[in-house]
Amino acid sequence: MEELELLKRRIEREQKARKQAENILEEKALALHTTNEQLKNLNENLAKQVQLGIAELQKTEKNYQELIESVQDIIYKISPQGYFTFVNSVVENRLGYTESEIIGRHFTELIIPQYVESLITVYREMIGQKMESTYNEFPVKTKDGNVVWIGQTVRLIQGENTVTELVAVARDISDRKATEDSLRATQTRLATLITNLQKGVLVEDENRKIVLVNQQFCDTFGIQTKPELLIGMDCSNAAEQSKHLFKHPNIFLAKINKILDKKRLIVDENLQMADGRILLRTYIPIFLEKQYRGHLWEYSDITEQYNARELIRKSEEKYRGIMNNMELGLLEVDNNQIIIRAYDSFCQMIGYSQEELVGKSAPALLLPSDSDDTLNKNQEERKKGSASSYELQLKKKDGSRLWVIISGAPIFGDDGEVVGSMGIHYDITERKLLEQELEQAKLIAEQARQSEKQFLANMSHEIRTPLNAIIGMTHLLFDTRPNKQQYEYLDILKTSADFLLTLISDLLDMAKIEAGKVEVQNHPFDLAGLLRTTQRLFQIKIEGRPIEINLMIDGRITGYYIGDDLILNQILLNLIGNAEKFTEKGSIDITVKQKRQDEKFDWIEFKIEDTGSGIPAEKMDMIFQKFKQINSHGHKHKGTGLGLSITKQLVEIQGGTISVNSDEGVGSTFTFLLPYQKSETEALPTTHEIHFAPKNLNGSKVLVAEDNIMNQKYISSLLTKWEIDFVIASDGKKAVEQAQKKLFDLILMDIQMPNMDGYEATITIRNTNSLNQKTPIIALTASAMLDQKSKAMSAGMDDFVTKPFAPNNLLSILQRYIGSNDSVVKQPETLAISYDLDQTSLEQLYGDDKEYAAEMFETFLEDVLPDFYQLQNFVEKKDWENLSKESHKLKPTLAMVGLNLMESKIVEIEKNAKEQANEDWLISAVNTFVAEMDGYLPTLKQRLKTLRED
Amino acid sequence: MKGIVFTEFLEMVEEKFGYTMVDNLLSTTELPSEGVYTSVGTYQHTEMVSLVINLAKQTNIPINELLKVFGGYLFKTFTKTYSHFMAKAPDAFTFLASIHNYIHVEVQKLYPDAELPHFDIERPDDKTLVMTYSSARKMADLAFGLIEGCVEYYKENVEISQIPINEDGSITKFVIIKK
Repeated sequence: MEELELLKRRIEREQKARKQAENILEEKALALHTTNEQLKNLNENLAKQVQLGIAELQKTEKNYQELIESVQDIIYKISPQGYFTFVNSVVENRLGYTESEIIGRHFTELIIPQYVESLITVYREMIGQKMESTYNEFPVKTKDGNVVWIGQTVRLIQGENTVTELVAVARDISDRKATEDSLRATQTRLATLITNLQKGVLVEDENRKIVLVNQQFCDTFGIQTKPELLIGMDCSNAAEQSKHLFKHPNIFLAKINKILDKKRLIVDENLQMADGRILLRTYIPIFLEKQYRGHLWEYSDITEQYNARELIRKSEEKYRGIMNNMELGLLEVDNNQIIIRAYDSFCQMIGYSQEELVGKSAPALLLPSDSDDTLNKNQEERKKGSASSYELQLKKKDGSRLWVIISGAPIFGDDGEVVGSMGIHYDITERKLLEQELEQAKLIAEQARQSEKQFLANMSHEIRTPLNAIIGMTHLLFDTRPNKQQYEYLDILKTSADFLLTLISDLLDMAKIEAGKVEVQNHPFDLAGLLRTTQRLFQIKIEGRPIEINLMIDGRITGYYIGDDLILNQILLNLIGNAEKFTEKGSIDITVKQKRQDEKFDWIEFKIEDTGSGIPAEKMDMIFQKFKQINSHGHKHKGTGLGLSITKQLVEIQGGTISVNSDEGVGSTFTFLLPYQKSETEALPTTHEIHFAPKNLNGSKVLVAEDNIMNQKYISSLLTKWEIDFVIASDGKKAVEQAQKKLFDLILMDIQMPNMDGYEATITIRNTNSLNQKTPIIALTASAMLDQKSKAMSAGMDDFVTKPFAPNNLLSILQRYIGSNDSVVKQPETLAISYDLDQTSLEQLYGDDKEYAAEMFETFLEDVLPDFYQLQNFVEKKDWENLSKESHKLKPTLAMVGLNLMESKIVEIEKNAKEQANEDWLISAVNTFVAEMDGYLPTLKQRLKTLRED
Repeated sequence: MKGIVFTEFLEMVEEKFGYTMVDNLLSTTELPSEGVYTSVGTYQHTEMVSLVINLAKQTNIPINELLKVFGGYLFKTFTKTYSHFMAKAPDAFTFLASIHNYIHVEVQKLYPDAELPHFDIERPDDKTLVMTYSSARKMADLAFGLIEGCVEYYKENVEISQIPINEDGSITKFVIIKK
């Protein structure tokens, strides 16, 4: 029962449970059914919606697709991680990549590396800050390696809270970028240019706002602000504010306003600043497509250039003024002497206008037909690039002549080549006339001087000759045992004649010295000996007077010195003579010492100190002047007034100096200094002793050619006294005749003689094959002038004695020549001529070229020689004219074979034949010439043979 | 609590003590459902607690023992009904580790009103699995039985230690170490 109850309860529970379960299941089933129904509906709706959505989407997508495909921009999407998820086909066009090549790649792969980082930053910021869109520009690499600039707008696509993707629209902006670049470059360049211009630049826009201004502008106007800070500033009042900077503020302001109003280009206006600067202003209006867009001011400080230009202008004006005032005519010519430019002053000078001159040949137009080649020579210099000046005669337009001095200089081109020349002409016509007049005057003066000289020479001859006789006769009269009174008269006569001779000698000396015809003849002499002789001479002279003559010689002065003892002697005689003249009592001290030595000379100082009347201080200056006598108290001594002047000149021509020191009433001191060389050799013995008759002269034969009877007598007396044989010839012709008859030891030859003068006679004797061809010939001349002396030497004379001469003078000459010429005189006459050729001359002509020399010798012997024998034919016919011509023609051939001696002889023949002066001489000379030529023949032939053999 | 737990509990009681015990329990325990249970229904878990307490009183077997035994019985039932869960896991650790993240997720989908315990899984090393149980139902003993059943099913030799973390037993740590 219990069990049954249990089972009943179990079944009941199970039934309840089953019912419960069935209820639950039913509920569930119903719920399931309902849900199912709902799902079914939902599903249907969904399907419909999906279909609609898909259709719509497809349509939209298609639209978008078309849109995307049709745009020129690259449109792409990238994931937040940066990978391409989409790109439109434009990309291939733009970058060369296909869509499939792009998708899946990371965006950084395409971007130029240095831009990657900045772009990543942009994206990060975008995503981080959820920025809706950004715009960026950057360069990317195309497939073929080029660079394309991209400008892209990126949009952020967001999901609920996360960024799902980035969509970008990218545009190829390379062209714009390139334009921008070049624009920027241009702008930078222009801005840099303007900023760095050495001109102040200010650019304003159409509203007068500053667009650009540079530092130089600020500097020019003293603006302290930096240029970049001025940009944008309004310039409307700038002119007003800065007008005080200008010298004329109101004019400046008015002008600026006018410029701004007109808006026209104005270039390079000068502005004067208040502070003295000069500015150059340029105004440039700026128009863009005919629309005014502002303007540019340009200021440059040209103060320096302005000042420099002003200087140049003034200097040019000055020089032009000078040129015009100086009347210098300028002419430019090219290398062909065509006139390029003629300046006004030249035109005035020459009489042509500039138009008439330019383009013409200067020499053709301006040179007279008779002008020489001075111009051409000087223009040649110009081509070498050197300048020169010369005188030239030009022809004026009116035909008159114009003398100009031209200073010509080359004109150089840019490359330094001579392109022409510039001549500065100075009118010297007047000067030239003056010069000609002067020349004429000088000629007249010269002639007058010559006449004077001739007169002096003649006078001296004319005076000396009789004076010589007077003195000579006086000497002889002393020998005639005169009584006391006669002796006294003779003494006065001698003193007067001596003084007269001194006077004439002084005058002649002065003339000689002034004519520069005194020769200093240096040879060794015994200085101390000369001084002692002089002392002795004066001691004798002043015997009995209360005067002492003292001589003090420096111990170092010994032996021989080289110098002119005769001149020294004359100086000493003059100075000591003077001292003696003016000293009543006391002493004359002659002090000689060696003052100093240099490389060449011993400088000897001579001092002559007296205790005479002295020289007044005021007259000291004129003491050495000509014809000034300071004979204060009518001194008994007469003088020429030339003595000291001559002395001074004689000292000076030897290179010495002379000075004087004097106290009036106490005495005078003359000091002179002369350079002498110390000699190694001894001097020729001098003969100061009077009336010495050397034995070696006894028996000598002398020919005396002298026309003056008094002189004949004087010389005869002396020679007789000295026991010398002599023959007198009263003219030159007779002298020649005598010379041909007999051999003499010496010939004394007067110069001025009738029939044949001494020169001619000497030439004849020397050139005639006579006995006396080598005999010493001594000229007896009244003129001691150097030119006469040299003429005598060239005529073949050996020495000369100036008339009037003291017996001693003649004796020393006789001794010198007869004594030394003994051996020569005794030589046989055949040896008188040596037929040697002039070797020096031949060597100069031919050197080592023996073949040439041989050829010349052969030609001479075969062709030329017969012509010389023709000369005798002309002589026989007395055809002097042809003799002269033929001689002239043959003359040059002689030197070619070394017959230089013969050449000088034929010159004489030619000269005499031309003058037809002396027929006899000519006959003799030609005969001698031909004979001598014969004498040369063997030598010439031998020489030719030698030359041929070599 | 799902009806299946009640039906399976009553089946185990009938199997072990006979239907008399079942009837006794149902008759003497105050039950709002009046002891009528179907596996598809849902009942208050307090009924289960009352039943277990009553059974322990009737049989003098401690409650925790009863629950452990029931756990093992319940797992066996699951292996028949929900074998596809077991098929997916090759061993006990894998299965146990997947309970919370997989099985409970699926259970929740089927029974949105189900109140499931929470398990935290730790794997200190290859041989050790630590499961921390937390549930307001405080049925850690049932969980122990289920774990035993699972290990038994996979025939694995393990040692299971049960460490209560708090006093009321709502949080309990199970350390399972492979031997």
